[in-house]
Amino acid sequence: MGAIYKKELKSYFTNMSGAVVIAVMLLVTGLMFRTYNMYYGTLTLHYTISGSWLAFLIVVPILSMRVFAEERKQRTDQLWMTAPVKLPEIVLGKYLAMVTVYAIPCAVVCIYPLVMLKFGDESLKWDYACILGFFLIGAAYLAIGMFISSCTESAIISAILSLLFVLMTQLMSSIFNYISSTTFSSLVFLVVLAAIVGLLVYYMTKNFYVSLGVFGALAVICIVAYKVKSSWFDGRSESIMRIFDFNTHLSDITNGSLSISNLLFFISYIVIGIILTVQSIQKRRWS
Amino acid sequence: MIEVKHLTKTYGDHCAVDDLSFTVEDGQIYGFLGPNGAGKSTTMNIMTGYLAPTSGDVIINGHDILEEPEEAKRTIGYLPEIPPVYTDMTVAEYLRFCAELKKVPRAERRDAVKSAIDELELGEVKNRLIRNLSKGFRQRVGFAQAIIANPETLILDEPTVGLDPKQIIEIRQLIRRLGEKHTVILSSHILSEVAEVCDQVLIINHGKFVACDSPDHLATSEQKQKGSILHVTAQGAKQDVLAALRSVVQVRESDLSQDEEGNTVATVRVPGGSDIRGRVSQALFAKNCVVLSMSVEKASLENIFLELTDSGNGAAHADDDTKKSVGKMASDLVHDELGIQSYTEEGAADDGDAASEETSDGAKAEAGDAADNVRQDIDSIHAQLSGNEAEKTSGDVTDGEDK
Repeated sequence: MGAIYKKELKSYFTNMSGAVVIAVMLLVTGLMFRTYNMYYGTLTLHYTISGSWLAFLIVVPILSMRVFAEERKQRTDQLWMTAPVKLPEIVLGKYLAMVTVYAIPCAVVCIYPLVMLKFGDESLKWDYACILGFFLIGAAYLAIGMFISSCTESAIISAILSLLFVLMTQLMSSIFNYISSTTFSSLVFLVVLAAIVGLLVYYMTKNFYVSLGVFGALAVICIVAYKVKSSWFDGRSESIMRIFDFNTHLSDITNGSLSISNLLFFISYIVIGIILTVQSIQKRRWS
Repeated sequence: MIEVKHLTKTYGDHCAVDDLSFTVEDGQIYGFLGPNGAGKSTTMNIMTGYLAPTSGDVIINGHDILEEPEEAKRTIGYLPEIPPVYTDMTVAEYLRFCAELKKVPRAERRDAVKSAIDELELGEVKNRLIRNLSKGFRQRVGFAQAIIANPETLILDEPTVGLDPKQIIEIRQLIRRLGEKHTVILSSHILSEVAEVCDQVLIINHGKFVACDSPDHLATSEQKQKGSILHVTAQGAKQDVLAALRSVVQVRESDLSQDEEGNTVATVRVPGGSDIRGRVSQALFAKNCVVLSMSVEKASLENIFLELTDSGNGAAHADDDTKKSVGKMASDLVHDELGIQSYTEEGAADDGDAASEETSDGAKAEAGDAADNVRQDIDSIHAQLSGNEAEKTSGDVTDGEDK
């Protein structure tokens, strides 16, 4: 793990990407800090942090797009797949290298509250909770970005998909304002979800009947459940979409509630991202 | 020792490796031979743990590649078809990374990198970015990566592709040198390379095992089956030469021709791989024909390879089978004929179980008749074969172009 971590970290700084990531992060957070804290005189980093999610649109694709896609394309994955190293070590090494690069600008952001101390009674606890939330959400995005990169051979496709993921999860709270929350619309939503699961199964197994069966079974379960207990479907679509709602969890933290559930939300994304990456690389060996 | 047992790998409907089994003994250099798409790279990728087999086992030096991957991988060094180099690193940086990745102890890392650089003569480029290196140097960097942890077994997928002739010779020498300490398995299209470097040749085709033997053995057995070709140039009339040759071996008149200086040139297929040069020259001498030159063309590895892997596609397959069986019939008959000939001429002295002492004159005459019949049969089969042969040669040419 150490070898791949050192190598990856070095390569982020031999090409431009590490520098670009740090520059973009510092530019966006610095701009927000100047506007909200210096200009408008808001205490706490609350607005600065919640506005800085824009940086993820650039930082996440740049850091994660090449991490596995490029290795697969250049066939350099043959080197570490045939070396006496466990695959999770490789994935972790690469992931930690990404997170390290991302942690550098986060460390710089830690100076901001100290600057604010000069102007009044700054709640340092609140500020550092904000920064911790910000760091975790970025780490969660990077884990998902890494998984996306491991699914494709093209860094461009990986970049676009991770950008879309960031956009979707940030705008999710606005999206479900426009979705009807009646029980029937929840049923339709769940059936559409079953179709998406069926498509994913088809993509992974290339077996038409199995995927059709999965879709059929899930759809039938939903419809039967709807007939039996329709009240369960009340607001169900929203609760499912909340799974992808990063923004609300971040704003919970920036509003000052550093709850376990908010932390677990991001940590579980990190863990799932790493596990899925390992699985997606393993799957390629077997198919 | 590497054991591959009933290895099968399918991609959807396509079967890349089909029930392949073989054993690689320690301390030898194995040449893995097969046409494009035969499953060489897939097999090597499975042996090194890059791909997982659909079914079957690979046991590397006592460790199953699926159950104890780390232990198994520790004993192999792998150079894939495309050297797995990171182009944004310098050679020395890359090799240090590989040494660490392959768990070379910290204290030995510096020496391991240095000896790999020396072995591959990478000293002059060690501080250059791999991106700026030529194909040949990249290949050598890939090679250095494979040997850096001093593994017991080296698996090299087409190690000399893209190198210039001087480098090819150097790499071959290196492989031979490494073969003294390591077990080496290399795949190649270049047959002369395999013949020159390898102790054992392993031929696969369409993912199936075809043959495994030393190049010499393969050539001998091929020669036994197909025979060798004798080129004779003699001073004298065509008829005399023909008569002289006929007293030794089966010759058609079309095998003989006259060159510009009026000498007779004969190209004769000698069945069974026996050396008949002495008898031919005696016979020619008896007819007052002076032998100007005589040479035997032995079955080359190229021919063996084409013969063993030339199962064609679909429709050609059946045709090929008949060709083979006709060929075998002919060679059997020729064998018989030779046996009978020596029997009639030399009184069957060397046919142990034929109870030669009690053979009466009648039996000899009978044998002679039988020989005549056989000879006629052979003539017709020869005609048939030469037809097929022409067809086959044209097939071979297109095979060559495919490459």
